Amino acid sequence: MNHEAMTDTIIFARDLTRIYPLGVNEVVGLNQVDLMIAAGEFVVLKGASGSGKSTLLSLVAGLDAATRGQLQVAGRDLLRMTESQKTAFRRDVVGMIFQSFNLLPTLSVQENVCLPALLAGVPLADATRRADRLLDWLGMSARRGHRPAQLSGGEMQRTAIARALISQPPLILADEPTGNLDSKNGDMVIERLRDLNREQGHTVVIATHSDQADPFATRFIHLRDGAIQSDQGPC
Amino acid sequence: MFFFKLFIWFNLRQVQHHRWRALAVVLGIALGAAVFTGVRISVHASLGAFTRSMDAITGRADLVVTQPGGRVPEDLVARLRRLPGVTDVSPVMTTYTRPAEGGRPFLLVGIDPLLDRHLRDWNRVDPGDEEADWERLVAEPFTLLAGETLAAQAGWTTDARVVLSHRQGDTPFTVAGRITMDGLGKAANGRMAVCDIATFQEFTGTSGYVDRIDIRLADPGTDPGPELTRLMGNGLRLGSPGALKQSGQGMIRAYQVNLSFLSFTSLFVGMFLVYSLVALNAASRRHELAILRAVGASARSVYWLFIGEGALYGLAGWLVALPLGSFLVRYLLEGISSTISTLFVRVHVDRLALAPWEILISLGLTVAVAMLAAVQPAREAAGVPPREVMTTTRHQQGGRSDIRRLALGGLGCILLVLPLAHLPGVNGVPLPGYLASLLLFTGFALLAPWMLQQVGRRLQPLTARRAGGPAHLAAGYVRDSLARLAIAVGALITAVALFTALVVMVRSFRHTVEIWVAQTISGDLFVTTRMAETNRVWEPLPPEVVAYLAQHNEVALVPNRRFSLSHDGHPYQLEAMDFAAFQEFGHFFWLQGDDELIPRLIRGEGVLISEVFAHRNGMAAGDLFRTQLQGRTLTWKVLGVVRDYRTHGGVVFCSLDDLAARMDGLAWGGVRIFFRDRDRELDAAVARLRDDLVLRFGDRLDMMRGQALRAAVLRIFDETFAITTVLLIIALLVAALGIATILTMRVLERARELNTIYALGGSRGQIRRMILWEALYIVTVGEFLGLLCGFGLSYLLVFVINRQSFGWTFLYGVDWAALALSLPLIVATALLAALPAMRLAVKTSPAALLREFGN
Repeated sequence: MNHEAMTDTIIFARDLTRIYPLGVNEVVGLNQVDLMIAAGEFVVLKGASGSGKSTLLSLVAGLDAATRGQLQVAGRDLLRMTESQKTAFRRDVVGMIFQSFNLLPTLSVQENVCLPALLAGVPLADATRRADRLLDWLGMSARRGHRPAQLSGGEMQRTAIARALISQPPLILADEPTGNLDSKNGDMVIERLRDLNREQGHTVVIATHSDQADPFATRFIHLRDGAIQSDQGPC
Repeated sequence: MFFFKLFIWFNLRQVQHHRWRALAVVLGIALGAAVFTGVRISVHASLGAFTRSMDAITGRADLVVTQPGGRVPEDLVARLRRLPGVTDVSPVMTTYTRPAEGGRPFLLVGIDPLLDRHLRDWNRVDPGDEEADWERLVAEPFTLLAGETLAAQAGWTTDARVVLSHRQGDTPFTVAGRITMDGLGKAANGRMAVCDIATFQEFTGTSGYVDRIDIRLADPGTDPGPELTRLMGNGLRLGSPGALKQSGQGMIRAYQVNLSFLSFTSLFVGMFLVYSLVALNAASRRHELAILRAVGASARSVYWLFIGEGALYGLAGWLVALPLGSFLVRYLLEGISSTISTLFVRVHVDRLALAPWEILISLGLTVAVAMLAAVQPAREAAGVPPREVMTTTRHQQGGRSDIRRLALGGLGCILLVLPLAHLPGVNGVPLPGYLASLLLFTGFALLAPWMLQQVGRRLQPLTARRAGGPAHLAAGYVRDSLARLAIAVGALITAVALFTALVVMVRSFRHTVEIWVAQTISGDLFVTTRMAETNRVWEPLPPEVVAYLAQHNEVALVPNRRFSLSHDGHPYQLEAMDFAAFQEFGHFFWLQGDDELIPRLIRGEGVLISEVFAHRNGMAAGDLFRTQLQGRTLTWKVLGVVRDYRTHGGVVFCSLDDLAARMDGLAWGGVRIFFRDRDRELDAAVARLRDDLVLRFGDRLDMMRGQALRAAVLRIFDETFAITTVLLIIALLVAALGIATILTMRVLERARELNTIYALGGSRGQIRRMILWEALYIVTVGEFLGLLCGFGLSYLLVFVINRQSFGWTFLYGVDWAALALSLPLIVATALLAALPAMRLAVKTSPAALLREFGN
């Protein structure tokens, strides 16, 4: 791989393996995956449950540590990072969107959105301004003072998108973002992710069973039993 | 700054959301903190009153001349005044006296008003001619100036005639005025009076002698010089006026440490509550923690969030403790000050002083204890990996190996207890004993999860057969929820252990004291000079009294003479007694030696020392005992050691005849009277003799019937332990609160599971019975381990802590009846504590709880 290619590459993985110990046995979550994703791509990860989609996202997001292999994200070597470096990486580089939204129930919509920016040391006033802009863009302004329990599934996921964007990360990772939503809300969430990719240049990687994101994907990666089965452009 | 914002968002709102759980924990820790603060403030008030009183009497003296076991010749005053470098010399005498009509004793101070004016200040209540008051004290015999408190309490006004009682009999005085609560007027907290020294000597029959002489030097930093030292011949001692104060303060502080430890137990039990709630929050919010970590919170931030939560409970508990403590202190103050007066030094506490340092200590300790309790849950919370944000399964904590490791750790702690307990105390404070006690509590608390596991495992098949489904399910829950339930058990173990240990200690102590009282304080009538016991000074009995009693055929006499002395700074009494007469009617309570030593004691071949004296001075049979008495150096061999539970230090018993020979004569200070004919009506005979003595010698004697004296000793004993009982009850209350809180939390945690059981056909009654069975398992394990821990703790209290604190030990005895009666009560209380959880278990709609939430 030449240097020029590396500068455009936001995710680079080689021989990436994750093995989970389970009592006396082992479960292979990811098996010798080689992968390169360029900045600005809209990638859809496909595969059955247990195929390794979420494991791959966890490793790329710095939430989990690989058992072996190489993994560089936005030019940072995740396998050599200390715990505190990984914390900073999660704040600055990655925005995560989850199937079950993962909002903190004791925080309001606005506070949930502000949280990553505040953890990164952004002053409260600035973080609030950014959060309000994002909530406006996502049509959530009227709900900023509400708690997650008072929101619908679509609203919760839009809040989660705003939270993922607050620190303006170059990489958005979404794990089954429409899995708990009806089709209308699901479409809306995917459209927002598409906007982020096309209009603002964020790299988006979505792991999903559904085909809602297919029309916007620049690339499909199929996983099976922890390995890449196919890697292709849009159909 | 953002940390506080995050704390409010993440922790405080959770606390608000579950405010009732938080309130229960805050109340638990508040009770502990209130007791701790109340005890500390009460002892502090006593210490302050004692210090103020001592300072008021000491004044500006740099040196003080005393005579161990006797008085200082008054003519020394003139010689001291002539010495270069000495600017002021003032003789001082003090005694406790009381109004003849009755009432509490007060302090009477005798001074030379002219010589004393540069050493001590005093002011009149009503502004007037100060000089005239001084002159009146000197010019008019038997006048006094009353302290503000005394005058107010006794209703004395200027020129009032009052009759005071002392060993010379009743004497009328005139009140020349009142003095304010400053300077000398602060002595005994204002319950005092001042008179001229000549009046004092005449009143107490001590002409030519003074208690001490205070000296003020031109340059306090310089050596007083050889001339001053030369004047100290004939056994006089030149010392610092602060020595007595420091000795008294030392004893009060040691007592403060003892009570602080006991009251800390409530706070220790409160720690379990904080631990349980913080641990519950950390465990039940595990997924939220993973989210927090996933969006960029560091492990350290998460750790401090939970430590902060612990601190919040501590701070809130402390704030609630302030009003609780101020209520409690009203009760504690009287009990504690009277115990200090009984055991150590006389204190008069009429008011509470604000003690900012004590308040700060209590704040610091309460918050620190709560933060410490939060450390382990905080570590667990910080250890939640961010990858858990991707999973929805719950993580079970505390594997089998953890439980075994905890149990081994617990055993290790318990094994360390004995070696630690045998280390010596530090400055009279049994620190190793206290540390050993904490290790014991910790050890048994760490054993709790393993024990619960065993109970759950062994009882499940049995209860399934005998007690049906609810008991079976409860046993399973107990086995599977060890980490959480172990906290409730830990709290209960601590409380039951404390209860058991105190029951055993009080029983052992009382039983031993009863034997001691019966054997050693034998006698039908005890006679001393008036106010001898109050002043702890046994002046010689009037010779006519001795002569009259000696010719009385119906009675046998055991005369004695006591001197209050000190040995290496530890106060003790030298008691010369007629061993030959004593052995006819009483016995010593031997620790080393036996009755066969009596003939050697009679011959003056040695002395007996009390256990307290032996421990405080590191002496045993065979050692040499040396002391200074009225200018003579006395040396004896220690022949034996006996138990003795009189307060104010140890005792050395020597032969009265031997001491009389060594001192060239010795008058009796008191006498025990035994009626020879034991079959007669003793009460009537004692009353007749008493009336006879009053008729012949008027009011110069204090007499107490043996039976009344023995009852008084036991009453003082019971009063001394009243404080302990209060502390015990509060520790039990906190433990009950702990059980209620933890069972309720368990119900809340398992709400969905319980309602699944309901949905599957379990009745509300069955679910309630299941909770009750769970409580029963907890209580059984808690009681069993608590009992074992309690017996261990009682050993530490009886043989280590009491010995190191007070110098005495007791015969170990268990009051099985009290334990058998009390322990079921604790079981009942603990089961009652399960009621809120049982009610809550079936309160919420099962449909609502079983609904799947999006988040």
